[in-house]
Amino acid sequence: MMSSDELAQLTPDKEIDARGVACPGPLLEAKRGITSVPMGGVMVVMSSDASTVADLPRWAAKMNHEYLGTVEDAGFWRLFVKRGK
Amino acid sequence: MAKMVVFCGSDEPQKAFPPFMLGGGALAMDMDLVLFFTMNGLNIVKKGGAEKITLAGAAKTLPGFIEMAINGGAKLIACSAAFPIVNCKEEDLIEGVECGGVATFVEEAADADVVLTF
Repeated sequence: MMSSDELAQLTPDKEIDARGVACPGPLLEAKRGITSVPMGGVMVVMSSDASTVADLPRWAAKMNHEYLGTVEDAGFWRLFVKRGK
Repeated sequence: MAKMVVFCGSDEPQKAFPPFMLGGGALAMDMDLVLFFTMNGLNIVKKGGAEKITLAGAAKTLPGFIEMAINGGAKLIACSAAFPIVNCKEEDLIEGVECGGVATFVEEAADADVVLTF
């Protein structure tokens, strides 16, 4: 896990804007999005759905990606995932 | 690959939507997903049926969820044993749904990792 400061300095390879999309939408968008991230690259998922904060780390673990952490923004969260496979 | 089978036996909105919400999660986690529709649950996969089942606050409409499931690779099975009970015929079903009997369900359920009933 990385600190908010460390996360803020990352330059993601891919940004997924899933704000306004309810569960399970953000997970499905993450699944679709990660395929265009290079191996070891970073994807950031923006979600305004609180369940994503709990679900995306589980999704990442299950899919063998590395969950790096979450940064709260104004009314939404930025969740960082490093592609692992 | 892990597999989830969901028994969809109702057209009540609060029972008709969760199979697709949880099923979407299963697809996102790369699980195989089988949705088995029987009794009034068959109304979900009848032509024009899903449009009539609405749930305020849901992420998508029911037709939208069905499209998500089919595009995500889910297998949708309509229980032919319940056809005469709810007055349904194979030609009444939307595209992408196959017919199966009780043995189909038992076989799918027997090698599933998760089986849910709604």
